[in-house]
Amino acid sequence: MQHLRHVVPYLRRHLWAIGIGFLAIAVATAFSVVQPEILRLAIDNLRTHPSLNKLTVYVGLFLAAAVGQSIFAFVQRSTVNRVSRYLEYDLRNDAFTHLQSLDQGFFGEMHTGDLMARLTNDLNQVRQFVGMGMISLISTFIMLISVAVLMVIINWKLALVAFVVLPFCTVTMFVIGRTLQRRFRLVQDQFGQLSNHAQENFSGIRVVKAFVQEDREIGAFSKVNREYVQRNLSYQRLSGIMWPLMFTVVGVALALVLFVGGGEVARNEISLGEFVQFNAYLGMLTWPMISLGWVINMYQQGAASMGRIMEVMSREASIRDTGRTLPISRLQGKIEFRNVAVRYGDTPVLHNVSFTVEPGHTVAIVGMTGVGKTTLMSLVPRVLEVDDGEVLIDGVDVRRIPLATLRRAVGYVPQDTFLFSATLGENVSFGVQEFTEDEMMQAIETSRLVKDLEQFQFGLETVVGERGVSLSGGQKQRTSLARAVMRDPTILILDDAMSSVDTHTQNEILARLKKVMEERTTLITSMRISTVKDADSIIVLEDGTIKERGTHQELLMHNGLYARMYRRELLQQELEVEDDQEALV
Amino acid sequence: MSPHFDQDEDEILGKAYDGRLVRRLLPYVKPYWHRLLIAVLFLLGTSVLDLAPPFLTKIAIDRYITPGKPSGLMLILVLFMAALAVSFVLRYFMNYFMQYVGQNVMYDMRNQIFSHLQRLPLRFFDKNPVGRLMTRMTSDVDALNDFITQGLVSIMGDVVTLGGIVIVMFFLNWQLALVALAVMPVIAFVSRIFQQAMRTIYRNIRVRLSRVNGFLNENITGMVIVQLFNRENTMFRQFDALNSDYLSANLRAIFAYSVFSPIVMFLGAVSTALLIWVGGHGIISKWGPAFTFGALVAAMQYTDRAFQPIRDLAEKYTILQSAMAASERIFGLLDEDQEPPDPEKPIILDKVDGDIAFENVTFGYDPEHPVLRDVSFHIKPGESVAIVGATGAGKTSLISILSRFYDIQQGRILLDGVDIRQMRRQDVRRHIGAVLQDAVLFSGTITSNVRLHNDEITDQRVRDAAVFVNADKFIERLPDGYDHAVRERGGNFSSGQRQLIAFARAIAFDPEVLLVLDEATSSVDTETEALIQEALERLMENRTSIIIAHRLFTIRHVDRILVLHKGHLVEEGTHNELLNRQGYYHRLYQLQYQEQEAVAGPA
Repeated sequence: MQHLRHVVPYLRRHLWAIGIGFLAIAVATAFSVVQPEILRLAIDNLRTHPSLNKLTVYVGLFLAAAVGQSIFAFVQRSTVNRVSRYLEYDLRNDAFTHLQSLDQGFFGEMHTGDLMARLTNDLNQVRQFVGMGMISLISTFIMLISVAVLMVIINWKLALVAFVVLPFCTVTMFVIGRTLQRRFRLVQDQFGQLSNHAQENFSGIRVVKAFVQEDREIGAFSKVNREYVQRNLSYQRLSGIMWPLMFTVVGVALALVLFVGGGEVARNEISLGEFVQFNAYLGMLTWPMISLGWVINMYQQGAASMGRIMEVMSREASIRDTGRTLPISRLQGKIEFRNVAVRYGDTPVLHNVSFTVEPGHTVAIVGMTGVGKTTLMSLVPRVLEVDDGEVLIDGVDVRRIPLATLRRAVGYVPQDTFLFSATLGENVSFGVQEFTEDEMMQAIETSRLVKDLEQFQFGLETVVGERGVSLSGGQKQRTSLARAVMRDPTILILDDAMSSVDTHTQNEILARLKKVMEERTTLITSMRISTVKDADSIIVLEDGTIKERGTHQELLMHNGLYARMYRRELLQQELEVEDDQEALV
Repeated sequence: MSPHFDQDEDEILGKAYDGRLVRRLLPYVKPYWHRLLIAVLFLLGTSVLDLAPPFLTKIAIDRYITPGKPSGLMLILVLFMAALAVSFVLRYFMNYFMQYVGQNVMYDMRNQIFSHLQRLPLRFFDKNPVGRLMTRMTSDVDALNDFITQGLVSIMGDVVTLGGIVIVMFFLNWQLALVALAVMPVIAFVSRIFQQAMRTIYRNIRVRLSRVNGFLNENITGMVIVQLFNRENTMFRQFDALNSDYLSANLRAIFAYSVFSPIVMFLGAVSTALLIWVGGHGIISKWGPAFTFGALVAAMQYTDRAFQPIRDLAEKYTILQSAMAASERIFGLLDEDQEPPDPEKPIILDKVDGDIAFENVTFGYDPEHPVLRDVSFHIKPGESVAIVGATGAGKTSLISILSRFYDIQQGRILLDGVDIRQMRRQDVRRHIGAVLQDAVLFSGTITSNVRLHNDEITDQRVRDAAVFVNADKFIERLPDGYDHAVRERGGNFSSGQRQLIAFARAIAFDPEVLLVLDEATSSVDTETEALIQEALERLMENRTSIIIAHRLFTIRHVDRILVLHKGHLVEEGTHNELLNRQGYYHRLYQLQYQEQEAVAGPA
């Protein structure tokens, strides 16, 4: 429950709204409790000294009180009722900013679906609790206290009758609350089962069909489905009491007041006006009494949800600037790895990796799938951190370079292309704040994206992504490449960045990159040797460490893993050539 | 950069009542019509009983309270309590029966959607993401439940309540009734304006929320790119813009409510004031015997009760609207064409020998672009055949059409001389078992994964199958053995173990022909690799088997190899024959398999 204290700072920002709002609640309540009083006067006037003029005055007063109540009810609603929405807005923005500061370790362990659930469903629960729970609880309370006091003043015996009956709803809600919650959880669990069953079936539909399990799957599903209905009905059997009970309890209160109060009026112990006034107050209490029961529920759910949100918000970023960070704003691009080791859990991925790349040089990393090439590349812009050793740029440990400076110097083309659902142009200029048309043209020319543009009716304005045009693998990679080139980076990292680009285009891109990258440092990995053979130096990884290094020629002479990979590739090319010839026939 | 989103199909809201859709919904309610009828009758009962308290109050005031005869109040109390008790019971059971109907309709609907999906061709699943199908099964069906439990019937109840109040009020005192009714049109008018405003506001809220969530989702997925390209601030500004758009839509809704509800509150006070004024006038000026204190109090109470249903109308309207949109989407799904029906007079083979023939088979997922062209071959009973080829040569398609996941466009596929299209799909798949590329496991136990739902497969047969494919060794090491829990998608097993379980499943079903997609995975350790190889060898014994081979071991152990290239059958023969031919296979072998030889050594 203590999680809810994290809500307080968000409420503090809206103290004025809350203050005005509660003031308005108090005034509106005053205006509303005055109305039955006027009603009493009017009715007693009718009974004892009938006067048309006085009647008109009372009716006028009554309307005036109603106007007052309406105005302040408006003020209340348009101030304090907005607070929970502001809270939702602020909390969502804060969560977003916080997520941006977290590293890949976090996103690896927490699934997108789970995160989304916390930032949607849980956020909603918290908002409802603050909005309907906290705020309406307070306004309810003001109403409850003032009306109760007035009722006691009018006639304590009648008040007693009402107070004995009315809390019955709240008490019932409190009593069955636990059971109700348990049954509701059973319903939700079963709902989880039901959706899991459906989801697994839809994802594994090939197996279902291959083993002719359709009918049996339907049978199994309908069992889960039936159980869900049973649990729902069992929940309904209990929760269904609440609504009718409310009506009945209010009705019983009215009936008893009619009986007891009516008798008192008949015996002239109170006036008819007081009796009507009392009935009106009773009507005012009905809703607040009922809502009390629900607030208890909301409180628990709100607290649980806030806890789930705080689990994310309290997570500290492990990759960030610290007190040891140096004030560096420009980098030259000399990269040095010193005895670098990286582990995933207990499994070593890289160990004992040392090499240097001079500014302006290109170094290629080759090796079989899963040998740690991507891991190695991610260490430079600190997407991952070393476990041992250090990575230095211009002689400074990357952990001491401001993250913003470090990443601004890097143009990264990842293995798995990720584009945003924006236009092609917006994706290319993703990493720059300002740019000229020329720079844009240069980037799409270098990455040979320019050839693809002809296909698209809207050119750079073409929308990419789910509902836009879907790009081919090659087009995506060229866009991703253009995005990196556009940044005019000091260090360019190409992580198997041209796997979906055909050999011919790849050679065009490499030739153009060479010009652009003359002064820059390039790290490149590829499954194709032909992509990397012109690098200044080639590093061959095997079993997580450097096995061979040298130029293309040197490595061929060495006749090791690299040479084997190259021969294999030549063979493959031979096959492809044959394919092409065949295609011509 | 501005995010681009089109209107999601889930967001389009149309009419609140669509006769065509409602006529299609009715049959779902029909089986439960008697309960629904009881619910409606009970509802009418409560509506009528709810009219009693103000009426009893009137009688109490006029007959006993004002004349000073409190003795008669006891009778009023008894009647009042009786009405409350009956109304409690009616209300409770009305709700229960309504929920009963709603839940059962949802049950039927979900079952129907699920069953329908089982019969849809794989093509459909290729196009529709699982998430979308899940939405149909869950939130759309729920929207229909709201329609049944809160929509139609309760609107009926509201109408009855309103009608009843008007009639009783006219009966009590027609002048006061007219006074009370004078305010009603104003309230109806205000509600209508409010409801129209809310319609736009709600749509904005939904659209904007889905943008916020879409953006959030995209940013979580692509966070590493955002961070690498120093885009945190820009992305935050965009997110803030979407978030505040959403906020402002919500604030507009709050504003609409903060104008609407005080107005309704005020109108209520106006009608009370009017009643007092006119009623008081009547009492003072003695307009008639109907002008009594009791009638005045009752009129005030009735007017108060009449307000609630009118105020709720806007909410009901939204429920109806989303129910219509949901049913439109559900029916859209149910209208998807199922797999073409099995032949009316299928040829049913009790047991097959496993003789398979492809005669000039041409097939493409898209008929315009065939992936298999004019392929013909013959496999004798008991023969084991490997199919090899580069990626995209059409190997997987061959398995898909043999299992009749897809139908071919030209040619024939014969099983024991019978065209498989003349057989029922279930029979084809019973005779021809398949072990698929991605060994799919379901959550449950190992036993349940081997047996699936087939109760004919005994525990013993599950064990035998596991022993046969070498899976018993690792299974018996597990704490619960064959009852060991399998998590979703088999996440708690290695890919090699998953493959062994999938083999066991195929064996337990004992098909005469076996298709195996043997995708060698790099993550299999050497021990498991050896187990899989041995298992594969046993699978092929005495059984017609077709294997999409990725293991050198496999292609060496089959009787014959078919080489596919770009959808054509280019070579066939044994491993040695094909190698000696120095053709396509020879190079393919050097490319795909020689590396394994270097690692594994000569087999």
